[in-house]
Amino acid sequence: MEVIVLIAGVVDPKWRLERLGLRNGTEQPDESGLPRRLSPFDEAALETALKLQEADPSVRVTVAVPGDAGSDVLLRAAMALRPHRAFRFDTAGAPPWDPFAMARMLGAAVDAAGLPDLVLAGREFGDGDDGVLLPLLAEMRGWSFCGQAHGLALADGAMVARRMRGPREEVIRLPSPALVSVTNDRSNRLRHPLMKNVVLTRRAAIEVVAMPCDEKGRTLHACSLTVVPPAQRGAGSCRMLEGPLDAQVAEFAAYLRGWRDGAVR
Amino acid sequence: MTRRILALVPLGDAAIADPFAAVAAATDTATRHGLHSGAMLLGRPGYIDDAAMLAAQEGAAEITLVTHPGLDDPPLIEQMLALFTNLLGGEQEPLLLILPGGVIGEELAARLAARLDAVPLGRCSALALDGAAVTAHRPAYGGSAELVLTTEAPRCIAVLRRPAEPPAATTEPAVTQRMLDIALPSDTPRPTVQPAAADRPRRVDAARLVVSGGRGMGGPEGFAQLRELATLLDAATGASLPAVDAGWAGVSQQVGQSGAFVAPDLYLAVAMSGTPQHLAGIARRSRIAAINADPEADIFRVAEIGLAAPWQEVLPRLIERMRDD
Repeated sequence: MEVIVLIAGVVDPKWRLERLGLRNGTEQPDESGLPRRLSPFDEAALETALKLQEADPSVRVTVAVPGDAGSDVLLRAAMALRPHRAFRFDTAGAPPWDPFAMARMLGAAVDAAGLPDLVLAGREFGDGDDGVLLPLLAEMRGWSFCGQAHGLALADGAMVARRMRGPREEVIRLPSPALVSVTNDRSNRLRHPLMKNVVLTRRAAIEVVAMPCDEKGRTLHACSLTVVPPAQRGAGSCRMLEGPLDAQVAEFAAYLRGWRDGAVR
Repeated sequence: MTRRILALVPLGDAAIADPFAAVAAATDTATRHGLHSGAMLLGRPGYIDDAAMLAAQEGAAEITLVTHPGLDDPPLIEQMLALFTNLLGGEQEPLLLILPGGVIGEELAARLAARLDAVPLGRCSALALDGAAVTAHRPAYGGSAELVLTTEAPRCIAVLRRPAEPPAATTEPAVTQRMLDIALPSDTPRPTVQPAAADRPRRVDAARLVVSGGRGMGGPEGFAQLRELATLLDAATGASLPAVDAGWAGVSQQVGQSGAFVAPDLYLAVAMSGTPQHLAGIARRSRIAAINADPEADIFRVAEIGLAAPWQEVLPRLIERMRDD
């Protein structure tokens, strides 16, 4: 069984973004100087693949990461977990917020990895995607799709995914080939790599795969990308409680009681 | 060029918390441009009886009620895709299609874009029309940044939340009914629904009050206390992404840009810093109360009342007081 994990990476969410924009004359984000890391969803997808590999030794895992040499840190993080193959592919100028251009590029990357039975990715593919890209890719390729799965296992040779849909938890058997977007859950927290593998990976050569030029015209264009201040709510001034803790708690309890009983609106 | 603004509303699936939000958002967008909105409501016969009235309350001027005898309960996404594609595939007029937020609306929007050769605009915060151009404002970088996109494609699809101001209702909408009998996909795998565990948490996206915990809770013990407080307040329990990631709460409880979008009257944030990613999942109209050991925490910038003390000292006292009621 061939499993391909697509990993996007994000700007470290703990980093306070102060400036961001489009590179001059392009529609590419200028992320120079910003630290990148795997997103929790990338990690969940990668761990899901590793679990499948552990459960069935015939599972072959390939990891593919888009981007330039700046993405090597993400690739090396994945390589330290010993997938069968890992490579980086250039994005050929595809802007991360054009879903059709990105889906064509990801499809080409999957083609470069081989014929997959299963493609895994985090539920959002990087900082420019909000969940559109992966169902679009599956639809364009004719693959079955399961969005926001929190678990995936093999049962009698079939892929069985678990997902939440509002109040219900669903279990679904997926025909192959399938694309599953994975959400973070306790069961798929990414394991730590062995230190010796981390050291070996630091010296390992990076495989780079060139993508075919995407000659399709684009119909969606980015005008601007700007950092936004936190949303303003209410009067924008918080009433901080003061005094002895018991008195603060009493006032806070009275406040909550008002909301519970519908006395406050 | 006049673009038809149409909400696509899947009915009869409890997983879609606010299906008519798409109609309200379509009306809001249309009204700002001097246009009328339409709504295409799709569901099993039993679900569309009151649907026209609800869509009219959200301001839809043209309402199409669509049903099919072969729809599952709830309808499968593949069935909805087949029906919407059948209805819209031959449409010659330029379209701006709007779907409700959430996992089903977002998947439908993406896959319909491929079938209808439409530009997917994603989960937008605002849309503007200017001649043939559609401009979409969309959060990026976990809500820390805003991206402005533009397209002149004749067909666009966006996901929008309910607008802050309720739209004016339509008194006499034009209502048509369509009973389709096209062949629905027959090879679609049916999901099986797991029996609900007795301790399954209350649904966070439909609650009037939410008590939510973040990374600062430090472990599952704190969430046990949060659940107790939530029970006393008749509230649902939510969590931030790091707390879900750590396994202290379930994935269905995750609130934020990448989790559930919640619109409670009051959101009590305990031991959470208040990142843009988290706040993006809380409706602007919701009031926020916060408990955090760090008086400089960003959450206090958006809360209306704050208690700066460690949750370990606050929650037991708070629970005791609420128990005494």
